[in-house]
Amino acid sequence: MLQSACQSDQHQFSRRRWLGTAAAGAAAVALPVFDPAVHAAALQRAAKQVLFIWLDGGISQLESWDPKPNTEFGGPFRAIPTSVPGIHVSELLPQTAQQMQHLAIVRSLCTQDNAHSSGVDRIQRGDPKDRGVVYPYFGSAVTKLLGPNASGLPPYVWIKPLSGGFMHKDAGFLGPQYGSLAFGDGKPPQNLLQHANVSDQSLQERMEIRAFADRQYARGRPAASTEANGFVYSMGLELMQRRQLFDESTFAPADVQRYGTHDLGRHMLLAKRMLEAGVQFVKVNSYGWDTHGDNFNGSWSLVRRFDQPFAALISDLAASGLLDQVLVIAMSEFGRTPRVNGHLGRDHWPEAWSLCMAGAGVRRGIAVGSTSDKGTWVTSQPYDIGHMFHTWFSALGINSRETAWDNQGQPLPIAHEDCHPVTELLS
Amino acid sequence: MLSKNYSRFSRPWDCLSALNWLTSESSGSKERVGAAAFGCCGGFCRRLPLFRSQHYSANWSAWQQRLPRPLLLLAMWISSTATVTADDLAQRIDAVLQQSFAAAQVAPGPVSSDAEFCRRVTLDLAGRIPTVDELAKFLSDPDPQRRSVLADRLLDSPEHSQRMADLFHVMLMERRGDHPEWTVFLRTSFAQQKPWDQLVREILDPQESPEQIRGAAWFITRRLEKVGQQETDYPGLTRDIGRLFLGCDLQCAQCHDHLTISDYRQIEFQGLYTVYRNTSIRTDVKFPAVAEKPLSRKTDFMSVFDKQPLLVGPRVPFGIEHEIPQFESGQEFAVAPDRAKNFPGVPKFRGLRLIAESLPSAANRRFAENLANRLWFVMFGAGLVNPLDQLHDDNPATHPELLAAVADGVTAAGFRIRPVLRQIVLSEAYQRSSLGAAAGAVPYQYGQEKRLSAEQLLASVLTACGTGGPAATADAPAEAEQKRAEAFVKAFGNIPGEPELEFSPSLKAALFVLNDPLMQEQIQPGGGNLSERLSQNGDDIVVADELYRAVLSRAPAAEEVRFVCEYLGQRREHRQQAIGNLVWGLLASTEFCLNH
Repeated sequence: MLQSACQSDQHQFSRRRWLGTAAAGAAAVALPVFDPAVHAAALQRAAKQVLFIWLDGGISQLESWDPKPNTEFGGPFRAIPTSVPGIHVSELLPQTAQQMQHLAIVRSLCTQDNAHSSGVDRIQRGDPKDRGVVYPYFGSAVTKLLGPNASGLPPYVWIKPLSGGFMHKDAGFLGPQYGSLAFGDGKPPQNLLQHANVSDQSLQERMEIRAFADRQYARGRPAASTEANGFVYSMGLELMQRRQLFDESTFAPADVQRYGTHDLGRHMLLAKRMLEAGVQFVKVNSYGWDTHGDNFNGSWSLVRRFDQPFAALISDLAASGLLDQVLVIAMSEFGRTPRVNGHLGRDHWPEAWSLCMAGAGVRRGIAVGSTSDKGTWVTSQPYDIGHMFHTWFSALGINSRETAWDNQGQPLPIAHEDCHPVTELLS
Repeated sequence: MLSKNYSRFSRPWDCLSALNWLTSESSGSKERVGAAAFGCCGGFCRRLPLFRSQHYSANWSAWQQRLPRPLLLLAMWISSTATVTADDLAQRIDAVLQQSFAAAQVAPGPVSSDAEFCRRVTLDLAGRIPTVDELAKFLSDPDPQRRSVLADRLLDSPEHSQRMADLFHVMLMERRGDHPEWTVFLRTSFAQQKPWDQLVREILDPQESPEQIRGAAWFITRRLEKVGQQETDYPGLTRDIGRLFLGCDLQCAQCHDHLTISDYRQIEFQGLYTVYRNTSIRTDVKFPAVAEKPLSRKTDFMSVFDKQPLLVGPRVPFGIEHEIPQFESGQEFAVAPDRAKNFPGVPKFRGLRLIAESLPSAANRRFAENLANRLWFVMFGAGLVNPLDQLHDDNPATHPELLAAVADGVTAAGFRIRPVLRQIVLSEAYQRSSLGAAAGAVPYQYGQEKRLSAEQLLASVLTACGTGGPAATADAPAEAEQKRAEAFVKAFGNIPGEPELEFSPSLKAALFVLNDPLMQEQIQPGGGNLSERLSQNGDDIVVADELYRAVLSRAPAAEEVRFVCEYLGQRREHRQQAIGNLVWGLLASTEFCLNH
């Protein structure tokens, strides 16, 4: 009975149908008529995954992806060569530099907002044209567009310091069920752990009794309610049964050493395990990047704490082959001012900044775009976050020009219609 | 994101996006500036033919299409010539539906079994499932009138007042939290069978005394609370008054006459807005209370389309505008403000009072229709007009004559809710079985599935497990009970501001039922609860029978008895545990967590 928990492909589609139509406030993507070719493409898409690393507050591009050593605003750090000849990064990224053959750096971001409070939202929602609707965050959008995969796990997981729980805000107009399941401080949400008085055997029997009762009820009634209810219970059970995923005591000590024992290291290692288990979209947050004061000591510790687990993770995903299907993105809401302020800090700078990505359909071993000598302005074609959304959707096999949200009859572009995919970033 | 109730029809952003995007070449930035200033589409909705074609979506129009037009007109004519009293509403409902079944050439489904009826009506009127004893008593009652006797008993019970208070709390506050004074207001109002027009009057123009009703102010003050750096949401308050008390979502009409709904003109929104944007939260008292500034002149507004300056004074939507009397400076107040005490004073001319006097009244047909439609939704799981806040001429009821009949019934009952619910319960439509419903069934041919609120679920879990009585523990049981109630709302309620309309299972709720200690303590045998009672009984057949009666309020079918006996038979050495598992399995079933 438990094994019938929605593993077949056919069933995946009926789940998708339910997610698209039955839940409150849902905006449904037009459902495909069953067609083997479409079906194969959908399966291929559903295998895609995303790791989204959010460095909240704004990582300095000059101390990471776009160093300008020996210039007016360059700061004290050197640039070092990477595994790709001709591409240099800050010396604060020594291990990541050795993974450059897998990475794509974008140095020509130019975005619209220099405030944290609004900028985080705008960037993670793709800064679409203002139509009075609240767009979904990238994670909600991706899980909606890809459709459920075979893992049976929650599609959108957010690993972050501090509190966790069910975060519906990210979902925007897609409806709360497209929100994220947040692991506060890497810990599973409330009620994920089995009650001490309930054995595994009992749990299984309970689910069987529940399923029996639902089969009885569904006789002579439309199946919608029992299907919907059965779906959330099997997902809950799946999550509980995979609880060793979240149990840090089961992490290999060697891995813990390689990723680092600090928060970001532990959370990235957890993220890797979730990706391996099949979670479709994992967001990892790191806080404290807003270095208005003492930017150079701050970056010295922050960037290196990012460098270690990021390099370990890229190298692990590449070694296992998972990088072919996992899109990895590391970014902030904006970069930092080239000009150093009176507190030896750098302020907010959306005019010219950088991010790093890898995997799925992203071209490897490249650095795209350029900034002026002092790092002040973009000197190549500037890219807004809309271009990145188009590029990421494309890398996941989603045609960002032709796919639209259907917000209850209201057609909406999934990425800003004035932007386009950046072809030089796509393989 | 807003739910279906808000959004199926014609929102400003619909017009904006559909057209702005599809015609993006021509969308200039100038218009967008206007949009931002008004928080609205800025006029893109003018190019609307595309949107009009999508105007009615979903099932509701399909329902309407099944009713032949002549019949509709006939029924409307009947309803306009006959007067409905509160007492014959049940017959009226069935007569209208009988005609629609005949027209669709279908027979109505079978009458519900006594057990099915007993569970349904107890959930609807008392907010919980029946106890085993209540069910047994009802099933063995030879009185042919036992269904109406049960309905009357439930309607007169204190649990009914509590159920109504819970129900209207969720409907009016949409999970924006709780306030003890508001709770007192709702509970005392429903306990004394306060008519709906009076209750709404107390909400729209809240008074600081008597103490039992002053909590009514929380409807307004909660909505006036600042969220972060956002402006006080006066438009949201105005919109909610239209939605909840008139069934009219006037949001689009904030910035211009509605483009597809001819009744929703900008003046309908602005006349109400003029009054409510003049209010604030009183800071000189601890309880929720509303301050009102003197209103000396009309409000200017203009449509984002034609930019013609217009003026409006206090005005109930679809009603007449009130003139604003002029006072000498310093003479505006009936009770002067006291700056030292932060007391805002009471103006002589009060817009709040004008609105409260004329909006909730029998003369305002929309007010009666809104209550009729919402009570119908509560009892049948769908409104006669859907969404509930889209009452207007272009969105007729699935059965217009039924809406008229129920609205007449509501008015004839002097806006008392109890007699109307009683009539609905006595109708054949309400008493039809939900079993046998298939896709394509005619509306009301079968009983409908209805979502249970967090409050109904909690009370039903406690009833099923036999732990619903006074709390056994001495240390702050009230506090523990409140925590439990909050946990259920957190697990089963919607997010703040979103109406709870349909059954929408969530992972959060499933994990709560699977693992939360509050659920587990109901399953764990002890304190004479269901698990303990069943564990002490050695006869598996009896156990199956009592289990099903306690949790699902019905006798088990033969295969269910067999299932229970087989299961228990294989687990002789863990019998107690096995019984706990059975209780859990039925509590987590879809049958338990719906009213059907």
